Order: sequence, then C-alpha cells, then structure tokens
Amino acid sequence: MRAAKQFMQLGAAALLLVADASAQNPAGTVRQGQEVFAKTCATGYCHGAKGASGGAPRLVGRGFDQAFIANTVSRGIPGTGMPSFANTLTRPDLVAVVAYVATLNGIAEPAVSMAGGPPAQPALTGDAARGQKLFTEAVRGFGRCSTCHEVGGFGIPVASPIVTVPASAAALKAIATPNLKTAKLDGESMPALVLSEGKQRVIFYDFTSAPPVQRTAEPGAVTFAAGSSWQHSSAIGAYNDSELAQILVYLRGAIKP
Amino acid sequence: MRFLTILLAVTAAHAQDAGATRADWAHNGGTPFSWRYSALDQINSSNINRLTPAWLFQTGDYAENLQATPIVVDGVMYLITARARVFALEAATGREIWHYRYPEPAVGGFVGNRGVAVGDGKVFFGTKNNYIVALDQKTGRELWRVNTDDTRQCGCNITAAPLVANGKVIIGGTGGDGAHRGYITAFNSKNGRLAWRWYVIPGPGEKGNETWKGDSWRFGGGSPWLTGSYDAALNLVYWGTGNAAADFYDADRVAPGTDKGKDVNLFTASVVALDADTGKLRWYHQEVPDDIWDYDSSYEVLLVDRVIRGRMRQALVHMNKSGLTSVLDRATGEFLGAFSVPEVRNWITGVTEDGKLVGRNEPELGKTTTICPSAAGAKSWNSMAYSPRTGYLYVPVNEMCNDVTPNNRGPEEGRNYMNAEFPMKLIPERTTHSHVDAWDPVTGKRAWSMPYKYVLLASMLATAGDLVFTGNPEGEFFALDGKSGNKLWSYQTGAGHRGGAVSYAVNGRQYIATTTGWHSSVVGGAVAALFPDQDWRLGSTLVVFALPEGSR
Repeated sequence: MRAAKQFMQLGAAALLLVADASAQNPAGTVRQGQEVFAKTCATGYCHGAKGASGGAPRLVGRGFDQAFIANTVSRGIPGTGMPSFANTLTRPDLVAVVAYVATLNGIAEPAVSMAGGPPAQPALTGDAARGQKLFTEAVRGFGRCSTCHEVGGFGIPVASPIVTVPASAAALKAIATPNLKTAKLDGESMPALVLSEGKQRVIFYDFTSAPPVQRTAEPGAVTFAAGSSWQHSSAIGAYNDSELAQILVYLRGAIKP
Repeated sequence: MRFLTILLAVTAAHAQDAGATRADWAHNGGTPFSWRYSALDQINSSNINRLTPAWLFQTGDYAENLQATPIVVDGVMYLITARARVFALEAATGREIWHYRYPEPAVGGFVGNRGVAVGDGKVFFGTKNNYIVALDQKTGRELWRVNTDDTRQCGCNITAAPLVANGKVIIGGTGGDGAHRGYITAFNSKNGRLAWRWYVIPGPGEKGNETWKGDSWRFGGGSPWLTGSYDAALNLVYWGTGNAAADFYDADRVAPGTDKGKDVNLFTASVVALDADTGKLRWYHQEVPDDIWDYDSSYEVLLVDRVIRGRMRQALVHMNKSGLTSVLDRATGEFLGAFSVPEVRNWITGVTEDGKLVGRNEPELGKTTTICPSAAGAKSWNSMAYSPRTGYLYVPVNEMCNDVTPNNRGPEEGRNYMNAEFPMKLIPERTTHSHVDAWDPVTGKRAWSMPYKYVLLASMLATAGDLVFTGNPEGEFFALDGKSGNKLWSYQTGAGHRGGAVSYAVNGRQYIATTTGWHSSVVGGAVAALFPDQDWRLGSTLVVFALPEGSR
C-alpha cells in the first residue's frame, strides 16, 4: 500500500487505479457520479441520459477501461467538443463520475480512491520557490517538468493533472506509468500515451523523445500493446536529487488533493 | 585562366537557377534562396496593361488580415489566415480542395500568421500557442503537432512561416522584445521529433556567453521571428536574429567599459549560419554590436552569387530594421560590404569598409532622443525581392523617426522588456514618407527610387518580365518597371496590403497572386495613427491576376 500511495501519476489513470485503504463507500461514490453525470455530461448535445446517446459519442458498453476514462475526463479530447474537466469538477466529483462511467462499461467495482491524502509524508528539505522555478526553468529546454506537466497555470498538459505528490525523489523516479503503451505505426514502435481512439482517427502522444509529439493516425494504421519502455526517471534525468526534493516541496504546496 | 572563367560562369548560372521560381512557388521566399523572384515572363511590360483578376478567394477569417505568403506546388495553392485556418485551393480556379481549422488557443499575443511551408508531403505551420503542426498535403488531415514553448511563460508566439530543409521543419519565434531567450528549433518533418535547438544566446561555458553582463543572458531576447534560408550545397541554414533585450536600455546586459566595436551580446542582431543536420553554429556576423535601437536583424536572408571585386562569390545579402544591409560570403561569413538605405538616418553616421559602425547615437536614460529611422523600421518585416536580370534588390523603405525615452525597469520573464517609450513620428519636411528602391548590392548604390505618400508594409515580388509588384495601405496593388521604377499598372483591391505577392503557372498560364487586408495592430496600428485622415481597411481576400484567356 505504501508503494501505491507513492504514485504520482503521469496520466490520471495511475492514481485512480490504486485501491486505497481510505477508500470511500464505492456504491455511494458511483451514485454521486451518476448525479454529476446527469448534471454535467448528459446535458445538451453531449452524451445523453445515462450515456446512452446524444450528440457526443455513446459511453455505454464501449469496453473503456477506467484508466482511459479517467484520462479522457481529466484532459478532454483535443480537437473535439470534449473539454477537460480537471479544473471544472471538484476532485471527489471527478473521481465519482469516472467511477460511474466505468460501471457503464461493465466494471462492476470501479476504483474510487481519493489517493494522495496527506497522511504521513516524510519530511523534505527544500525551498518551494526554488522548486517552482526548477519546475519551469527555461534554461533546461525540453528537460524541464513543465514540458509535460501543467501546474499553477504554467506548463504543457501532456500528462493529466498531478493529483498526488510522491514522497521522495526516489519515489518520483520510480513512478510507474501503466497508462503508457507501445504504439506501432509505419512499422516503428514507440512509447505512447493514448488520447483518443475514435472511428475517424486515433490520437496519441509519441514519447520517443522530449518534447512528446501529438500524433494522429487513421484507425487500423496504428496498434497499441500494453506496457512501454518509457521511464519517468529518464525524463527527469536533468535534475539532481536535491533539485527534485525542492520540486516536491513546491508541488506539495501547489497541489491540493 | 580562360577555362577558369568559364567554369565560374557555369557555377554561377547554376546557383542563379536555384534562386528563381518557375511554375511552383514552393517556399516562403520563392525558393530557399529567398529572392521572391519568378523566372516567368509571360506577363511583362508589353502586356501588363491587360492584366486582370482571374479569381479571388475570401477566407472568412477577418480577425486581422492576410500576412501570409501563399505557397503553390503542382497547381495547388496553400494559404493560411491570421487565426491559422489553412486552405488548399486549385491554383488555376480558387476551388477549395480542403481546409483545416486550428483550434483557437486561449493565450495572448500576436494575431497573425505569415505562412505555411510545404515539403515532404506535408503542410507545416506555427501557431500562436507555439505549436508546429503538420498536415497531410493531399487531405489536410492533421498528422502531428509538437509544442516548442509555454506561451504563458515565454510571452512568445510563432508567427513566421517555417523553413523546410533537409528533412526538417525549422522555426524561430517572437519574444525578442520580452524577457526571453530566443532560439531556432528543428523537428524531423516525418514524425515531429526534435532534431535540434540552437539558442541565440549562448549558455554559461559556451562561446559568447562572456559578452553578457551577469546573468542577463537568460532574458536577453534575440528571438529570430522570421523565416530563414537554406543552401543545400553547403547544407547551411541562414537566419537573422533579433536585437538584445532590454531593447533601449543596455546597462543590465552590457558591462561598463565594453568596447562596442565588435561582439556585444552575442549572437543577437546577427546573421548566423547553422549546420542543417546539427544546428551547430558555423559562423556569425553581428551587424549591430549592442543594438540599443530595436533594430532587429531578424529579417530575410537572400542568397545570391555575384562578382564582387573581380571574384565570383557565393554571397548573401541581409538587411536589418535600420536599413543597414550586409553583404557576406555565405560559406565563410567573410564581410564583403555594407550600405544603408533610408534617406533620413541619425543612429549612426556611417559604416567603415570593414563593417564597423561609426558615430553611434544612443538613447540615454533620463533623456528623450529622436532616433531615425524608427523602431518600426526603415524596412519592416515585409520582404524585399532580388532579380538576377537587373541585379537589383527591390526594397520597400519607410522614412520615420521615433522619440526614445528609456527606462531601467528589470526583467520579468515573458513580459515586455523594451524599456522605453518610443512614439513614432513623421519627418515634417517630407511630403512622401516611403519609397520603393532598387539597390545594387555589389556597388551599394541606389539605381532608382519611386516615392509614395504613406508607408509600404507589404513584401515585394520581382519577375523575369522585369516587373516589380507590391501593394500599399490604400488597397492599390501595383507594378513598377524593374529597370526604371516607372509605374506601369495598378489595381484597387479594396483593402490595405501587408502580405506577400507570388507568381506561379498552371498549364502554361502565369498568375500573380496577392493577399489583401490591412493589419491594424503593432506597426500597422502605430503607422495608421500618424495618418488620422486615412482609413486603411482590414480584409482577408486573396486576389489572383492573369492575362485574359486566349490573349497570350
């Protein structure tokens, strides 16, 4: 469990997949999600009552996994009417609506963790202001955190919003990224973060090198396999442990669960 | 000796071929040599009076204007609007083949786009929120996009057309007037992956960093905000870099007692040659050491081969905002000559034979100094043209001054860091405030000059019909005789001109296309305010001319 708590996610998914000892009542969360859905997602030209129909795609029985749902709700789908709800829904409402949509896709017991709660984070030495600067520092070029993370209004939201801050520099390096897959396109394999898989087009980030490239392919031209060779530790390799600790101090203050 | 002469002549002819366009207008500057010169001569001085509109295309994007230079490849025209709406049109008829709309980014900055680049089966463009986007050339479907910077942090945007060279798409950005550190970035055209980035301002430990006081290099500007050129034989890309920031106040970036004769705040206000494969600096020539007048050297670089002092040279010609024009050997960077084009100039008294500025007239803290030409430029960003037939550069020159009152505010990342008020003003004794000039870059002499009452802020087009085209703010699109400057033809297009005209051919018929629409912000707005009785109109229409069918 401790390891699980150390997840900081790079895709909303990682966090939401984590079962947590402090999990709320799952049935209650799903009910809450249903209410949020009715007010937010079912309205107007969007997904319709209970996600069955509407101007936007049907959400029932699509075989979505919870990671994909969390990712999509958090970041939206670029170039479509699907907005990011990361900043418009409260954290509990976001978790709840993801859990609800998961039940529409045959996931009987969706994860409803609010993970990232503060209990017992080890002390970190560092200066938050310095950490904030390090996070976005232009002199680091594409090696800075803000190449992929948006915090406090700065950075490129390649990853979905950070909701849990790892406990240490070691944990930050060891972050698992189960939501990254291996794409095959034009005979080439590459680490990929899938944004959307529609009938017209598939959109994903190519993580071969920084900065990630958002690529669009026709369905069938690209395939995805589970797992990838990509490691967060490589992406943050330009920072030393002391700098990473200062970044974590900054994030602890900036990210409110 | 005779053999050598022939050999040189052949080499020259070959290089001359590379600079001219024919049926296609495949690059922003026509070819990667950036001459804006078409070898087509079906339309010429004997028949231009019959030139007439063939078709026009309304983009529907009236947010600002059309600043873009259209690209034409294999009978298809590619055009981008101020808000990054991209169209593929049949170049003979204007019929739409596809269109693409980039989602409007919720960030501040310049509204304007100066063109797409086409190559490797794709159409590339930059965006206000600093993405490079690649579309499929045939279908307009998006293939990839990649972010170059965080707009909210850098205060920068991409407004220039990218350069496609050697399997890469290469681009700079704005931000040179802000607390920002400019760069040129290259991405692999196939998949959008980073190929290289070159920072205008060297970091600690790199050659040139020592020309910056303290850590001023971090926010020293220098952004190369227009499009570069490419010589495939040398595999070098050429770019002009912006001035240092703070623009009008140098005490934070130049150490006391610095010799301003050479190499101050490298590599701002310079022409640079970069290896196209690696982005490594091959050579540089700083035109204005410690540019304290906002005279950006970020303008177009024309690659021309000319006999200079008895020797055929692979040269380049580059003009900065002050109208100071350098002629360099493009293989080595060797300085070959310089001249200045505006009639009214007081920022320097002259340039020595080896390129040193003489008589610097610097704005001073606590004082107001009238500086000519203004920071809007003796020439603005709109490009000049070069004809190998006449050997002339065709230059739109504006004659204005500004009253510069510097301040010493410190930098805030991504915020304006010009450090002066500098209202522009007209020169009272003049009745005409601009002129189209023909300059010989070898002799540095002006061959002719055609005065115009207001300002000239659209790019030039030269053709093998010895015609020179451009447009004015009043909406007139006109042609001059390239040899004499006499006005041969004009057409009222209905809206002011700030874009670039091109020439191309489809099925043997030559066309001249011009974008229209006045750009009301930045330089356009400041200039318009000087002529309050004028009402230069916005617009966003492409107008295409040809000789009547059957009259050729």
